[in-house]
Amino acid sequence: MKDIIEIKHVSKEFKVLNRREGLKGSLKDLFSRDYKVVRAVDDISMSIGQGEIVGYLGPNGAGKSTTIKMMTGVLEPTEGEILVNGNVPYKNRTRNAQEIGVVFGQRSQLWWALPLVESFRILKDIYQISDADYEEMLSLYRSLVDFEELLHKPVRQMSLGQRTLSDILAAFLHNPKIVFLDEPTIGLDVSMKAKIRTLIQALNREKKTTVILTTHDMGDVDALCQRIIIIDKGKMLYDNDIEHLKGFFGAYRTLQLRFDGDIAGHAQQLKEELAPYQVAVTAEEEWISVLVNEEKVKVMEVLEAIQRNRVIRDMKLNEISTEEVIKKIYEEGVE
Amino acid sequence: MNLKKYLTLTRAGIIESLQFRASMFVLVLGNLLYLTVVYFLWKAIYASAGTDVVNGMTFSDTLIYLVLATALFNFMEMYTVWDMGRNIQSGKIVLDLLKPMRYRSYLFWSFSGAFVVNFFAVFLPTFLAVYIVTGGAIPIGISLFYFVIAVVMAVIINYSIDFIVGTICLYTESIWGINIMKQVIVLLLSGATIPLAFFPEPFKTVAGYLPFQSIYNTPLTILLGSAGTEAVFEALGIQLFWCVALLAFSSLFWKLSLRRITVNGG
Repeated sequence: MKDIIEIKHVSKEFKVLNRREGLKGSLKDLFSRDYKVVRAVDDISMSIGQGEIVGYLGPNGAGKSTTIKMMTGVLEPTEGEILVNGNVPYKNRTRNAQEIGVVFGQRSQLWWALPLVESFRILKDIYQISDADYEEMLSLYRSLVDFEELLHKPVRQMSLGQRTLSDILAAFLHNPKIVFLDEPTIGLDVSMKAKIRTLIQALNREKKTTVILTTHDMGDVDALCQRIIIIDKGKMLYDNDIEHLKGFFGAYRTLQLRFDGDIAGHAQQLKEELAPYQVAVTAEEEWISVLVNEEKVKVMEVLEAIQRNRVIRDMKLNEISTEEVIKKIYEEGVE
Repeated sequence: MNLKKYLTLTRAGIIESLQFRASMFVLVLGNLLYLTVVYFLWKAIYASAGTDVVNGMTFSDTLIYLVLATALFNFMEMYTVWDMGRNIQSGKIVLDLLKPMRYRSYLFWSFSGAFVVNFFAVFLPTFLAVYIVTGGAIPIGISLFYFVIAVVMAVIINYSIDFIVGTICLYTESIWGINIMKQVIVLLLSGATIPLAFFPEPFKTVAGYLPFQSIYNTPLTILLGSAGTEAVFEALGIQLFWCVALLAFSSLFWKLSLRRITVNGG
């Protein structure tokens, strides 16, 4: 497999003004030279092959967007080397732009007041897409989504889901080698999320487009990514496939329980009672989840301790989910 | 250069402007109100002066000048600074930077559609109205041709200044104050609010050395035919100088600034 993105020991530092509080502080800030250096990305290396879908994960402020901006050429790395499709992105931003597509979940690149088809025509001319390629792409789109319904609707009248769908179609329109999707499913309902995942998968399969996906939704990761890269506080924590990651936490089980009465109250009590067992207790709407590491304590022992003081109405025992794996990594890292 | 790449943005801009019919009507209406105020203000000024000619301009000269200046303003003012600032603040600029086109050109051609619309919707009707009402105070001839050249250069100068001010927003991350300041300076020193002929002497000389007067004063003086051929060529020469100088400077400034940019949000 040919590597299309090559990142070697890349770091990015920002200079941020140390802000003071209050009116007096704000006045002082006007003349302040008191900068601090924030290392948003710290010594990251990775190489990504043509046609891969890579999940790029990390908590808010981990440095995901900064990395993506460096790969697209909007930001210049402080140290290290990035090659995207053989180009140094920040030196050849305009040329690089021809080969990449981007979707930022929270904003749209489409022309707000115009029907989608007009945005497509503009993009066709800007990216100098030939008539044949354009038609071919549109017929592919027709086979994947309810395209006609979208095509003649002004973007401002679209629902968030339709708009995101359109933005994704727009990003793939010039058949770029790489598409960056920054939280594409943010704020969407379940069925729209599913539609968007199917679409991304189909486009990746048909066009062999490399997809870099950042998301907080583990459903996206489970549906799309074979490989994930996790960063936190600018540092790379993990780069491998998902199954491998779950192997790390193979001994973990999630015990889900239901009780009569106030769930939050039960959760609070359980946290205290189960303290000696080294388990994590979280309360959801109807269920209480207890994450158990079987290397340390058996599920049966925990269960026994729980039912000593109360009646369990319902229970489920699950493997650890991707979501919990990621959460554990954010909190504790990978040993 | 593939012109289609750019003209498609003009086309989009035209369609986009036409979507907002209401704002067009408001624009025209607001203009009429402004011009009414201008009319009475200058009438009062001329009445109190007690003479027909003030600073070499008659009342109707002044009025024609100001009406056309307003029309020119509505056609040229593209709120570039406002747009750039907003895009910088919201972070949308990232998406624009990722178009396979230089940002400067991308922005200019995106605005060009509104240009065309405003030319036909505002400037041309005003021009014709002034022409008919004044019964030919605007000489139709070679000066009209020079006027068109002057306007093209004025547009480039105006856009370059806007682009420079917009670039400053990269550093300040605020728009409002800078934009207002820019607007006041440009409108005053370009002769859009008060004809430059009315400026007191040292001030007039200073304004003459600045690029702003090339935006409104030069095209309008040429159009009204008060200058001789030699003066016209001199004015066009000065405009050309500013065109080149500001294009070069704004380009360079943007390039240097972009290297330092830290895009907000996300």
